[in-house]
Amino acid sequence: MAAVELKGLGKRYGAAVAVEHVSLRIEHGQLVCLLGPSGCGKTTTLRLIAGFIEPSEGEILVGDKVLSSPARTVPPEGRNMSMIFQSYALWPHMTVAENVAYGLRIRKMDRATVEAKLKAILSTARLEALADRYPGELSGGQQQRVSLARAMVVEPETLLLDEPLSNLDTNLREEMRFEIRRLHDRYRYTTVYVTHDQAEAMTTADLIVVMNHGRIEQLGTPLEIYDQPRSAFVARFIGGSNILTGQALDAGHVEIAGARLVAEGRPLKAGETVALSVRQHEIDLLTAPPTDGVNVVKAIVSRGVFLGSSRDYTAVLGDKTEIRITTPPDRNVMPGAEVWLRMPARGCRALMGGNEA
Amino acid sequence: MKVRRVDLSLPIFIGIVVVLVVIIALPMGWLGVFAFSDKAGNATLANFVTLFSDPSFADPLVTTLIIAVSVSLICAAVAAPLAWLVARTDMPLARMVRTLIMASLVTPPFVGAVAWEMLAAPNSGLLNQFWRLVTGASSDEALLDIYTLEGLIFVIACYTFPYVFILLANALERMPGELEDASSMLGAGAWATARRITVPLALPTLLAGTLVAFLQALNLFGSPAILAIPAGFHTLTTKIWSLFEFPPKPELAAAAALPLLLLTVALLRTQALVLGRRGYAIVGGKYGPPRLIRLGAWRWAATAFAMLILSLPLFLPYLSLLNTAFSRVSSQIVGLDNFTLRNIRFTFWELSSTLPALRHTFFLAVSAATLGGLLALVIAYVVARRLIRGHRILAFLATAPLAIPGIVLGVGLFLAYTRPPLTLYGTLWILLIAFVTIELPAAYQQFSSAFHAVHPELEEAARMLGASRLRTLGDIVGPLLRSAAIATWCFIFVGVIRELSAAIILFTSETKVLSVLIFDLKESGDVGAIAVLSLTMVLITTVVIVAANRLVGRPAIGRLPTRIAG
Repeated sequence: MAAVELKGLGKRYGAAVAVEHVSLRIEHGQLVCLLGPSGCGKTTTLRLIAGFIEPSEGEILVGDKVLSSPARTVPPEGRNMSMIFQSYALWPHMTVAENVAYGLRIRKMDRATVEAKLKAILSTARLEALADRYPGELSGGQQQRVSLARAMVVEPETLLLDEPLSNLDTNLREEMRFEIRRLHDRYRYTTVYVTHDQAEAMTTADLIVVMNHGRIEQLGTPLEIYDQPRSAFVARFIGGSNILTGQALDAGHVEIAGARLVAEGRPLKAGETVALSVRQHEIDLLTAPPTDGVNVVKAIVSRGVFLGSSRDYTAVLGDKTEIRITTPPDRNVMPGAEVWLRMPARGCRALMGGNEA
Repeated sequence: MKVRRVDLSLPIFIGIVVVLVVIIALPMGWLGVFAFSDKAGNATLANFVTLFSDPSFADPLVTTLIIAVSVSLICAAVAAPLAWLVARTDMPLARMVRTLIMASLVTPPFVGAVAWEMLAAPNSGLLNQFWRLVTGASSDEALLDIYTLEGLIFVIACYTFPYVFILLANALERMPGELEDASSMLGAGAWATARRITVPLALPTLLAGTLVAFLQALNLFGSPAILAIPAGFHTLTTKIWSLFEFPPKPELAAAAALPLLLLTVALLRTQALVLGRRGYAIVGGKYGPPRLIRLGAWRWAATAFAMLILSLPLFLPYLSLLNTAFSRVSSQIVGLDNFTLRNIRFTFWELSSTLPALRHTFFLAVSAATLGGLLALVIAYVVARRLIRGHRILAFLATAPLAIPGIVLGVGLFLAYTRPPLTLYGTLWILLIAFVTIELPAAYQQFSSAFHAVHPELEEAARMLGASRLRTLGDIVGPLLRSAAIATWCFIFVGVIRELSAAIILFTSETKVLSVLIFDLKESGDVGAIAVLSLTMVLITTVVIVAANRLVGRPAIGRLPTRIAG
């Protein structure tokens, strides 16, 4: 049992860069989510770890063993990993039991061991009753559990999951998220989980790796990623956020649309252009000017939508920036009304570099 | 864990390329060289001057084009209403009509031509005799004469329209019902919907089908050889064949084959273009099957119409073949007084060439199906999984023979392998090469679509669990490809059994196959033996197809053989 380590990993297809300078250490027993939009390189990274493709640069180590490098790549079958595929990849010509036992047979275990392990995993995955069915006769959720059982039963060193829930409907997806976390807590396999769904990543991961354009954008615990986004991309991708651009007045203040706002996250240089990230539900929408006027911007409401448990407003600042605000459902304002937006000091995060990613 | 990896990709690639060069590139290369050479081997354009100025070449060219155009128009005109009736109306017995039309494809075109000779030859033809009996016309009058250009066009159309029909019926059936319902909801009546929605959606398929018919008529050898030569005219294919009679003029044959090759390539490109845009017919969403149109009082009239059409390629020809096979005198209707098994005894026990021909045919069909199937399997796997650099070249070479008419391939192989280092002419091997080449594209396409249906993740899942690539092939890919492999094997087998146009150039007296034997018996006029052998061929074909369908569990013949049969 050992950590998985990616060192300066890169993959190019001709001139196109799929993955670039990805370095990451996954400690034993950790569940790491690779999170990002489609085309961000997360699936390529996973397939590099699995050994289906060879890196153009960098290497992959498990413990102190080099599994992948441009010179030599151990084929998938030699890595003692397991993978759960987006399509589940259940073999349609084998029953549930045959599918699950396949990896044990490949490992040439004796009949009694195979039987015992099969029985145990089928019971854990609540599949005993379905053992003799063919995959075509199962529902989506059942197929997913077979796929999990098949990957777990061989007791891999590393477990890889490639968008495992994307083919399920919403209710089932939520249930399976907790199922995956439960199984992980029980078996503690080092796990790499690829998804484009931030809620999925939040629920399951110990560590989230946000990827964009083939690079790691930010790496941290779910709380860090949400609370302290380092770039506009991360702020927008995780939880959704308003990005406001303004001029730094001093180390802790930024001027936006004529208002002086308190910013935090990093020390600023007076005069530099700064991008601030503000979560939409952290903004307080006021219908009258507050007496203290601290951290407040004036805006005109352009649109309001009632969503049942909340209201969703769009307002325009003096500099034409559009801003979205989530309020309690009883805060009813007509479009065209003048409002005052109070930004909480710890909610205005200055982002790195101030550029839009 | 130690894992040894031997990189086999280069040897595999080189091996496949060598095989493909031997069976495709070399013959086509020699064809090009000969077309531009004179007898002494000097470069010249004289062959083409002869080809386009000498009326004995120019006439067949014109005749061939007339035939191809007429056949494709007739096919479209017959197949379109029939496909609509079968796929979109409540015509009774629609399933049976569909099956029978597909079954008529089992008939090799030259067998159809022979059967129609028995039906509509001016004197002995059964239909003409019947007509004389009914009208009391004198014995030198005839209603029908099959030995004419019109007769030839008719017979070719009989065995070509099913291709158009299948394409069109499938397209009409898969057309989403909602597309028409949406039009109705917007207030369009039945005719407006048909005119503005249904017909435009089906049009690309009809066009593509018409092109298939055109190609078929263009490259067909069997029917013209049987009907046009007695009628005293030539098509391009029969003309090419006649150039191999003594004294052989291979340069001219090569030159005459080139236009055929180029025309075929051009038409296939057009077809790909037409079908390539068909995608717009199926845009997103889940669709229900289209609603069937009620024919009301016309229901049975529609069935009668379908049966009438079916009598032309199916009922009448097979009745005449059976009649000839079991009648003492072929031009008389078989009855108790003249029923005989003499023809069967003669064919199988007295005719010395029958058994060798059957042996050769079976040997070639089994080996071509096995070797060709394996070759197609390996190429399809390498291409589908992009295992090696240059896999596109392999895909191109494997599908290229689609554009090579059988007779053109025959000429090319003849030119390439009558000389050292590989003198194969006169052996069965040259026929084997021809058949493998001819069947390769269809086999490759079968396996290719089968591989695309096997999600790569199914293989990757096995690899992740520790199975090597070879083990994965055995455990996962093999079982999943079983049906496709059986279907492909049977396809090639059937294709070889009925192939005539390449065999007619490449056979020698020692290497006759069944189709060539039937064609040869025409010269000696043994109609009884011809009928028996034709029925035997159709019987073998039918048995293999039925067996394939049983084993595969779904109709394998439903997938249209893209190869133009000769």
